[in-house]
Amino acid sequence: MNPRKLLFSVAAAFALLATACGGTTSSNTTGNESGTLTVWLMNGSAPQSVVDGVNADFKAKHPNVTVNVEIQQWSDVTTKLDTAFAGSTPPDVMELGNTLVAKYAAAGALQDISSKKGGFQNSGTWLQSLTDSCTYQGKLYCIPYYAGSRAIIYRTDMFAAVGATPPTSIDELATVGQKLMGKYGSDPNFSALYFPGKYWYAAAPFVWDFGGDIATQSGSKWQGAINSAQSQQGLTVLRNLVANLSRADKTGDELKQDQAFAQGHIAMIVANGWEVGVITDPKSGDPTLKDKLDAFPIPSHNAGQTAPVFLGGSDLAIAAKSKQQALAQEWVGLLGGTKAQSQMVTVGGVIPNTTSLVSLSSGLPAKFAAAAKVSRFTPNSPNWANVESANVLQDMLVSIFTGKSTIPAATSAANDKITNILNS
Amino acid sequence: MGVAGDARASVVSRRHMEAGSWRLVLAGRLLPYALIGPALLVIIGVLGYPLGTLLWLSTQHYGLRELLQHQGVFVGLKNFQAFSIDPQFRYVVQVSVIFTIVNVGLSMFFGTCIALLLERVSRPVRVLLSAGLVLVWATPSIPAINLWQWMFDYEFGVINWLLTHLGAGNYIHHNWFENPIQGFAVITVIVVWGAIPFLALMLYAGLTQVPRELVEAAEIDGARPWQVFAMVTIPILRPVFLVLFSLSTIWDFGVFNQVWVLLNQRPNKDYFLISVYSFQESFRVSQYGLGSAAAVVMVAILVVVTFFYVRQTVRLTTEAI
Amino acid sequence: MSRRGAQRTLFDSVAVLILVVMLFPIYWMVSTALKPGKDILSLTPVWFPSNVTLDNFRTAMSQPFFWNDVVNSLTVVLSVVAISIALAFLAAVSVARFGFRGRTAFVVMVIAVQMVPLNALVIPVYLLLDSVGQVDSLLGVIAYYLAIVLPFMIWTLRGFVANVPVDLEEAAMVDGATRVSAFVRIVFPLVAPGLVATAIYGFIQAWNEYIIAYVLLSSNSKQTLTIWLASFTTQHGTDWGGLMAGATLTALPVVVFFLIVQRHVVGGLTAGAVKG
Repeated sequence: MNPRKLLFSVAAAFALLATACGGTTSSNTTGNESGTLTVWLMNGSAPQSVVDGVNADFKAKHPNVTVNVEIQQWSDVTTKLDTAFAGSTPPDVMELGNTLVAKYAAAGALQDISSKKGGFQNSGTWLQSLTDSCTYQGKLYCIPYYAGSRAIIYRTDMFAAVGATPPTSIDELATVGQKLMGKYGSDPNFSALYFPGKYWYAAAPFVWDFGGDIATQSGSKWQGAINSAQSQQGLTVLRNLVANLSRADKTGDELKQDQAFAQGHIAMIVANGWEVGVITDPKSGDPTLKDKLDAFPIPSHNAGQTAPVFLGGSDLAIAAKSKQQALAQEWVGLLGGTKAQSQMVTVGGVIPNTTSLVSLSSGLPAKFAAAAKVSRFTPNSPNWANVESANVLQDMLVSIFTGKSTIPAATSAANDKITNILNS
Repeated sequence: MGVAGDARASVVSRRHMEAGSWRLVLAGRLLPYALIGPALLVIIGVLGYPLGTLLWLSTQHYGLRELLQHQGVFVGLKNFQAFSIDPQFRYVVQVSVIFTIVNVGLSMFFGTCIALLLERVSRPVRVLLSAGLVLVWATPSIPAINLWQWMFDYEFGVINWLLTHLGAGNYIHHNWFENPIQGFAVITVIVVWGAIPFLALMLYAGLTQVPRELVEAAEIDGARPWQVFAMVTIPILRPVFLVLFSLSTIWDFGVFNQVWVLLNQRPNKDYFLISVYSFQESFRVSQYGLGSAAAVVMVAILVVVTFFYVRQTVRLTTEAI
Repeated sequence: MSRRGAQRTLFDSVAVLILVVMLFPIYWMVSTALKPGKDILSLTPVWFPSNVTLDNFRTAMSQPFFWNDVVNSLTVVLSVVAISIALAFLAAVSVARFGFRGRTAFVVMVIAVQMVPLNALVIPVYLLLDSVGQVDSLLGVIAYYLAIVLPFMIWTLRGFVANVPVDLEEAAMVDGATRVSAFVRIVFPLVAPGLVATAIYGFIQAWNEYIIAYVLLSSNSKQTLTIWLASFTTQHGTDWGGLMAGATLTALPVVVFFLIVQRHVVGGLTAGAVKG
């Protein structure tokens, strides 16, 4: 067959396929209106087996209800959520990143489920910062789903080569880093602690550790706190670490740090628990690093303690417009309940929504779970998303690391913006 | 097939118009409307209401809460007033205009050169080149931008590696986006790269319409190649040129994905083109009123900038009968 | 002869050079799709995959709903192309060949509509389709794509139709052909390259559109290929190999489509028609 004929028949086959299947694809979602529950989960959040388990349990109780779990993509998700909430038929249940909840709760998109809180399993032991993220003006708008926290992933072989053990204070971290730079630093690509300039979530622990904060709330007013003496102290310590130990892009972000780590020229990165998987994934990283990785919590400046970390994660919310409130609550309760959450830990390797199940994690994930014990959350304001999208903190870090401006100047500029945006 | 049939009908009825029967005259009068009818129906049916909504939104204070309740607060022209005193918005407009001029100029230049080249190369090379152009054009735009982002990457970028090894200086660990001028240069490369295939193929399609006889006649008369180009080719290509020029202007003024995706969906303020600004206001800051107003300003600027072309086009249209 | 030949060789080599530069990113995309993980993001570029692997293609195609998405994309795109070409050609003939009241307004509208940034229409379009129950339906997406490609197509095709000299039609009639056959024999073939170019344009626009498809189509079984492509980016980072394999697979049908139409329309008909 000559190539052109081949192309032709491929195209013809495609066309046939289109006509053959076109009729059947769109018939299964219109069923009994009252008996359908639509759930949006984000790509990569829960392992399929966990979702299947929840659906089976749900089906056992409600055999006539169809549950459509639709996986949504991360790219431009807020655009999709905005339009869906504006429309007449938003999904009944949706997973929301924990920094997004306040925005949608404040706008009235989410159902207030405060009165139902007691009915959810483990609600008494939910992770505090996830519960905070679900709480807006004293009311509960979602339930915690799962969490992720950051610790420092390091190369055991490199540490062994310089005779270092996991540092237990920031000073020790600096010393270990210096040793590593001394041994490997002649390689121009080597970083003892790889720290991209815009990596705000890895910088926050240093601010918090010295008693600083992003912003504080009194009454309904927010006041930026990133220029406080404590915040500045934390940032100064961090700037010195970055200057001495990192050759990462001072204006870059953390999106490619796992691939960079997998190249073998980096001793430590601040990373989420799941990033171990990315580093050792044969498709994106280097599987041979598997036995050479370990993690320790970001140390505090007080020896023996750990710095507070930002607790990332997702919550499960119910749309205010949903006509299936009771069913939605039940489904959410199952995915947030003991059975599914235990699987999330053992299969998914994430931090569960309740402290009572944290002990289930083992191996590396356990170290990340332990790091999450002292955790913090970003200012819980509907305007926080605007601070993030305006890149206020990222720009501040970049100008500090590149030396474009001094720490007092950079922090007070950022502080004004934060105060402004949060109160607008 | 339906297309040819209907077109045939149009010709037939036009001829009958001359026959004088008033019913046919009426049919002849109505025919052009019947021909544009379906397209008009689709465009107005689908875009009419949204365009109206856009205009209306631009006069509203419209946040997420208002969006959910479909009920904004009328603020008149306040959104536009806010722009007129906002130095950032002025920067955005200036940058967008300069960016557009540079990108349209470069795209049209390369597009024309390649189209002319396509006419002059041997057949196998022509097929190869046009298939290559289509391949570039066909590459889904978002992954293509990811690819470029990655080629210009700080530490893994093949461009940095190439430049360094070709002796153009030390580009190891060079960040292309630290300096907005360099950053926009990269964005321009991506935009022009993406625009060339379409422009070149359209212009080439236009060139095939230039009757060979005319060119040969001019050559026999002793015209030099550039004279042939200026006296024969350009006038015939003028409508296509006008269209492409206006289109490029419209598209390059609206460049969004290249910035948005290249800078990981959180561009620094230096990189705000007007479309990025509008999107950011709408979907990141949830100020849909301001976002819509920015879009309206964008259209207004385009109307002013392309007024000349549009008038030309309309004139051409009227002359063409 | 030798001067002509030398000139042609020069042009050919310039063309090949341009081709190499233009295609470099494509080469990088395809070769990345064939690379194993560690070679993909590498400090020293890996020019040729050390050991070619089809794993990225395999994982890309085994992604849930892949074939579903292929069918959806083809359904949407082929409908859009077929309908839009027909409607645009009719409108273009009308604008190019007839004078009628409102024509200027129509032309101005066709141009003006294209100036509106489509991102700004996301919410209004969603609300419109929501009110007629066409959210999460391919029909809504098709209607929207039609509306956004039509103005361009009409405008471009008008140029091609107008460019066909009326004299040619008349000359053919003098030769004894009827106006119908004159139109079919002269106008249609001369407009063919324009039809092809605009068809490809419509195909690519509809094939690659992301934001509206993503916002409108929520059911996984109804999504299109661009959404499938976005699935390679999770909050756990991007699967570059998979994404590039996916992008390669997505680009292929467009090239196939082009090769088919180019062979059958551009090559054959124009040459014959101009001489005939």
